[in-house]
Amino acid sequence: MKFINLLKKELSELINLQMILGLVVSLAIFMVLGTVMKTSINEAVDESTNVTINISDRDKTDFTNSIIEALNAINSDPDENTNVKIKIFETEGDDYADILSSNDISNLIVIPKGFTDSINKTEQPELISISRMTSAATMTNINTGNSSGIKLIENCISNTIASDTGMNEKQYALMEAPVSVVNNTVVDDNSAPVSPDSIINKVMMQNMILPLIVFVLIMLTSQMLMGAIANEKIDKTLETLLSAPVSRLSVIGSKMLAAAIIALINAVVYMFGFSTFVGGATNTLSDTADSVIGQNMSVDTALNQLGLSLNAGDYVLVGLQLFFTIMICLSVSLILGALINDSKNTQNMIMPIMLCAMIPFMISVFTDVNTLPMAIRILVYAIPFTHTFSAIPNLMFGNTTIFYIGLIYQIIIFLICIFFALRLFMSDKIFTISLNFGQKSKYKKRKKNSEIEE
Amino acid sequence: MEKVLEVKGLSKQYTKVLAADNIQFDIGKGEIFALIGPNGAGKTTTIRMISTLLIPTAGDAIVGEHSVVKEPDKVRECITYLPDEAGAYKNMTGIKYLRFMAGLFYSDIDSINKCVERAKEICGLGDRLNEKIGSYSRGMIRKLLLARAVMTKPKLAILDEPTSGLDVLNAIEIRKMIKKLAKEEGMSFLLSSHNMLEIEFVSDRVGIIAKGHLMVTGAIDELKQRYNAANLEEVFERVVLENEVH
Repeated sequence: MKFINLLKKELSELINLQMILGLVVSLAIFMVLGTVMKTSINEAVDESTNVTINISDRDKTDFTNSIIEALNAINSDPDENTNVKIKIFETEGDDYADILSSNDISNLIVIPKGFTDSINKTEQPELISISRMTSAATMTNINTGNSSGIKLIENCISNTIASDTGMNEKQYALMEAPVSVVNNTVVDDNSAPVSPDSIINKVMMQNMILPLIVFVLIMLTSQMLMGAIANEKIDKTLETLLSAPVSRLSVIGSKMLAAAIIALINAVVYMFGFSTFVGGATNTLSDTADSVIGQNMSVDTALNQLGLSLNAGDYVLVGLQLFFTIMICLSVSLILGALINDSKNTQNMIMPIMLCAMIPFMISVFTDVNTLPMAIRILVYAIPFTHTFSAIPNLMFGNTTIFYIGLIYQIIIFLICIFFALRLFMSDKIFTISLNFGQKSKYKKRKKNSEIEE
Repeated sequence: MEKVLEVKGLSKQYTKVLAADNIQFDIGKGEIFALIGPNGAGKTTTIRMISTLLIPTAGDAIVGEHSVVKEPDKVRECITYLPDEAGAYKNMTGIKYLRFMAGLFYSDIDSINKCVERAKEICGLGDRLNEKIGSYSRGMIRKLLLARAVMTKPKLAILDEPTSGLDVLNAIEIRKMIKKLAKEEGMSFLLSSHNMLEIEFVSDRVGIIAKGHLMVTGAIDELKQRYNAANLEEVFERVVLENEVH
């Protein structure tokens, strides 16, 4: 009953309008970003499948006419599974900005004068490609019109040269694509007929979520618990609380549990928001990639076949590591919170935890810890949070020894941290201990003052 | 007189400072005892040891029948402590704060409600109790905290500088409240202050403390007579000077 009373108080202190607004805004940002991402990708994909090729033929020879006819034939051929539109423009001069503006187009291929002559002389002819750039964003500048047009024109020329040299269609096709690559990826003893690139892309996107959640959880729990203890110390409400007939364990336990509950709520919201954001990008892209690459097997099936999918037991193990990470974080925060004697010090005190979370977070986003040189790897694994950041890759690729060593290491670190935290709270040091950043201790100040007075 | 508190040679040694040295005094039922002394004399350290917040380096204190060293949990059931310049949870309303604090002493709703009703009556904050503590003045917070300290009818209420930072009217009101509770309800008080006039008005007996030593204890009139002083301030001055000479 008393514990529930304490827990309710801690939760009511942490749940306020500011916290709820923060969550709603974060969620809204993620969802809006996800929708924007999805729309941009869809537009880009749409543009790549519905290609408009704008051509201006300034050479006007039989050969260039035949190229345009061949392109128009693709357009009208019902067997071709393309949505290519060819538009012909009459242009002159080299004021390309004016040409695009006056014709209200964003891309244009110009076949210059002397194009056919160059081919006849067996020289490489020039083709002028003009594209309008409207922003620095990658997605908005994807313009497949010109590249598709150039490729088609190249094919026409190659075809002409091939027929001139007496090559048949089969020989020409072989020359175009001399080999057909059959991709196979092997992980341990398993193999699947997919390219490693597609596996890596999928795994990377999936594995981005856990490190983000771990990072959010670490930062939030430590900040909330340290703030809760520091405020109680600074406002002297801790003295009132600890002189009441409640055990100190209940006081500490309620604070730890409240911080963990609120952090978990935040993590769920972030996870949901981030999944919406990432889902907006990955689902559209992977669907397109699967159909474009034309692999024999979908990436999800390949992940299962390669043993890279995690089962329920693996998720329990990852959850266990996450639990110990949070417990370490809470016990360290208890100690650091007790050292604060000024609200301005809270930001300084969170630095060690932030660094310990930031290093493995950044590493896990950009690379695998296990690929680092041995000395750096040991240093990074010495940070107990690292083991949770690399839990999924370790379990996926069968590095179970590293995983279990990490779990045991985390349990040991937790026991050490909680031992010191409880010792601090059970003794009277909680009221006497403090750290002053850049401030002289009261003892030194008093000594200096008395020297001045003398 | 029934003893509510017996302090037996309490000492507290910090790393470099002996903050309290062999402190001895007692408080009877319904008595108001005040520890007086300058800042850094050892008043708060002594009070914190009796409140079970600090562990004594030597000695003991018995509250009711319980030792602060051996049975701190039992002691905490008999006392309440109001720290110097203490705050309250700013996001809570006054009434929620009282309910929360009562919930730390009692588990049954009836007892909690009784405590809260009593505190409402004592603090006299009326409808302001439904507002957040963050909007209270210093005087209002102090009244709320004092009501919190006495609402559970503790055997011993320990109040560290109960009127510090308050204006004259609020301070007078709080002093009257303490006297009334001691007289009418038989509640015992251990106060600390460096305001001699306040102590002269409110307390039955005093203990003069300086540099960690309890120099003298006694009733105010008795001490004035012993040191041939017109008021408590003069008593304090003479006691401190006498001990410096020795």
